[in-house]
Amino acid sequence: MAAGVAAWLPFARAAAIGWMPVASAPMPPPPRDKRRGQDGLIILNVSGTRFQTWLNTLERYPDTLLGSTERDFFFHEETNEYFFDRDPDIFRHILNFYRTGKLHYPRHECISAYDEELAFFGIIPEIIGDCCYEEYKDRRRENAERIQDDEENDNNKDMVLPDMSFRETMWRAFENPHTSTMALVFYYVTGFFIAVSVMANVVETVPCGSGPNRAKEVSCGERYALAFFCLDTACVMIFTVEYLLRLIAAPSRYKFVKSVMSIIDVVAIMPYYIGLVMTDNEDVSGAFVTLRVFRVFRIFKFSRHSAGLRILGYTLKSCASELGFLLFSLTMAIIIFATVMFYAEKGSTATKFTSIPAAFWYTIVTMTTLGYGDMVPKTIIGKVFGSICSLSGVLVIALPVPVIVSNFSRIYHQSQRAEKRRAQKKTRLARIHAAKSGGANAYLQYKRNGMLAEAEEEASKHAGQALVCKSNPTFETQHHHLLHCLEKTTNHEFVDEQTYETSCMEVSLAKPSMSRSSSMSSSPHGLSSCCTRRNKRKSFNVPNSNMVAGRRGSIQELSTIQIRERPMSNSRSSLNAKFEETVPLNSEEQSYITAAVISMPTPPVTTPEGGDSSSSHNFLQSNIVRVSAL
Amino acid sequence: MWETEGLQTLGIVVIVCASLKLLHLLGLISFSEDSVEDELELSAARHRPEALEQLEAQTRFSRKELQILYRGFKNECPSGVVNEDTFKEIYSQFFPQGDASTYAHFLFDAFDTDHNGSVSFEDFVMGLSILLRGTVQEKLNWAFNLYDINKDGYVTKEEMLDIIKSIYDMMGKCTYPTLKEETPRQHVEIFFQKMDKNRDGVVTIDEFIDCCQNDENIMKSMQLFENVI
Repeated sequence: MAAGVAAWLPFARAAAIGWMPVASAPMPPPPRDKRRGQDGLIILNVSGTRFQTWLNTLERYPDTLLGSTERDFFFHEETNEYFFDRDPDIFRHILNFYRTGKLHYPRHECISAYDEELAFFGIIPEIIGDCCYEEYKDRRRENAERIQDDEENDNNKDMVLPDMSFRETMWRAFENPHTSTMALVFYYVTGFFIAVSVMANVVETVPCGSGPNRAKEVSCGERYALAFFCLDTACVMIFTVEYLLRLIAAPSRYKFVKSVMSIIDVVAIMPYYIGLVMTDNEDVSGAFVTLRVFRVFRIFKFSRHSAGLRILGYTLKSCASELGFLLFSLTMAIIIFATVMFYAEKGSTATKFTSIPAAFWYTIVTMTTLGYGDMVPKTIIGKVFGSICSLSGVLVIALPVPVIVSNFSRIYHQSQRAEKRRAQKKTRLARIHAAKSGGANAYLQYKRNGMLAEAEEEASKHAGQALVCKSNPTFETQHHHLLHCLEKTTNHEFVDEQTYETSCMEVSLAKPSMSRSSSMSSSPHGLSSCCTRRNKRKSFNVPNSNMVAGRRGSIQELSTIQIRERPMSNSRSSLNAKFEETVPLNSEEQSYITAAVISMPTPPVTTPEGGDSSSSHNFLQSNIVRVSAL
Repeated sequence: MWETEGLQTLGIVVIVCASLKLLHLLGLISFSEDSVEDELELSAARHRPEALEQLEAQTRFSRKELQILYRGFKNECPSGVVNEDTFKEIYSQFFPQGDASTYAHFLFDAFDTDHNGSVSFEDFVMGLSILLRGTVQEKLNWAFNLYDINKDGYVTKEEMLDIIKSIYDMMGKCTYPTLKEETPRQHVEIFFQKMDKNRDGVVTIDEFIDCCQNDENIMKSMQLFENVI
């Protein structure tokens, strides 16, 4: 419950008068109001900048520095104010959090400075409002990557991982050429040979001037056939060796064989071997020549060396639907215009528009504004339609460019954003749910303590326990009294989920109803779900119900959901290795999100036994709930 | 021969239509009178309350209390008025387990004395003044007004059923004992048995006040929230 509406609690309580005539049972007595009239101004001096606020505003969040007695450490007697030697600009946002209940992240601030301030003032960053959360997470991730980068650079030279097998080392060397010198050498050598091979293919066809005993010009390939053959052999040998090494080193051979790059590798070296096999057969030599065309696929091997190519390829692949639609609409336009042109030019003599398919060529050339001029309309109507055709062609052809560009940037951010959104949504739902049940459970706990709470408070005061911060008792007890009144009005009681389910189950099994006391002990978890809400929160343990036995104190620091942060190593968005693998990785990776909910103001923890703070800490740890987002 | 001529005419017609359509598309000419809709800016209703002295005179709150109340009010509703959705949202935050919107709706009607769809600070503070500082008579009056949904002076069984159902809705699902369908109805029956003296099926304000004044529990509970502020 947002502390902002704490101001409306008096209204809610007053409105409860509407229940009174309806109630059949007497109401519980109201809590005693302590600390009335203590709402004074408090001065916070942060490095010279004075902030002032009401005391109540700060007390809304009793588990932070400012809301608890921890601020007394910073009290400055001479000036009668609280002095903090911290950054006043960032403190402004922190103080706004107390006022409005929402924590914002200023974009111009450095992320580490901000994190430090939050940690100092005891505020968990996960409660940053949705408006600023994405930006915050982005910056945080960049920062983490930067730190990781620095660490990697330091460790790079002497990174010795003795527990990696030779095979794994080799695979790593192939995928990340920067890891070792050998890998870098190999990377450059293969790059060089790809370039050489492609150049050889190109130069092969250049006319080299006529030989001394020949009449016509021959291409260089025929003139220096042996040299080119040797060069080709060398390149293919290198490529074959590389392919075999990759095949051996691949962690999953089947996946490797299926991947695009390996198919390109195979297609690049196949023509050579096929040519070796069937050199002397004249019939298939024509086919063999065609096969040599595939040698040009070697140029695609460069995509291992250039991430830009990979991204482009991936963009085109994902824009396939848009491109397909574009192609379809172009085809439609071409057919329409070709038909029109054909019939328009039918009348003129010696026209080149002999058939509609023949007019296709004219339409395409005109629509792409090439205008070769080999086919021109001669009639007036033909010219009119021809001009319409070229005008519409300009519009149609100009369409795909922004689409592809926007797709590119969309893909680029999409992989990051989809995961962020998913993570955020689950966290947010979990947060909301935890907040709700936190409030409800705090009330249930209050009920169990019943009248003991007051007596315990007296006892704790006498014992002088000040270890645990006293939360805002007035607000909480008043709220609990209100809920208590509602219970009395309706003659029904609030219970937690598990108790409800057990009673639900019993109703369906027609057993006698459970007694109240047994309902409070931990109920079995493997209940068949008769309540639909159960299914949604399989791993969400209601903290309260598990710790009732033997513990009289109420709960503090409720509802922190802590989820491990997603491993960052593969999320580099820059254009080196691993781009295409991040996208599928995100869907299958076990990603956990980190989030924590601000703790609710709860009834004060009563620890009459001395030195109990450690046990309460242990309890806090066991209180942490995991919600996994897959 | 007729082919070219016919095609030429057809072509000219097509061209003319296409260019008209293009111009219309570009917004240069328009056929019908559909003008561009003016964008009505929804100005947020703003309201400034009466002066502090006036409110002090009209309600039974002291200056300080009015200050505290206004600060809280303005914090949640910066525009100075509460509309029904905000009201429901605020009220729902106090009852996280159930659905408080129906009861909040009835409350809103009770607070919105001039029925203009929004609750200003004056309405708010007047209502609170009755509830917290009023005489028992006034409080009972207010409660009766709350129950009387159509404000006709009579509380029928249906109205009462609605009210009681909304109260039970606030409890939510996870209650002990489990809420059954007929529980609200039974509750209404009990209420009417107590309140409806002449058994005519409706409860009037006099019956209500009379009966409540004779009921000790109710009288005691009316004093419960005296010192809320």
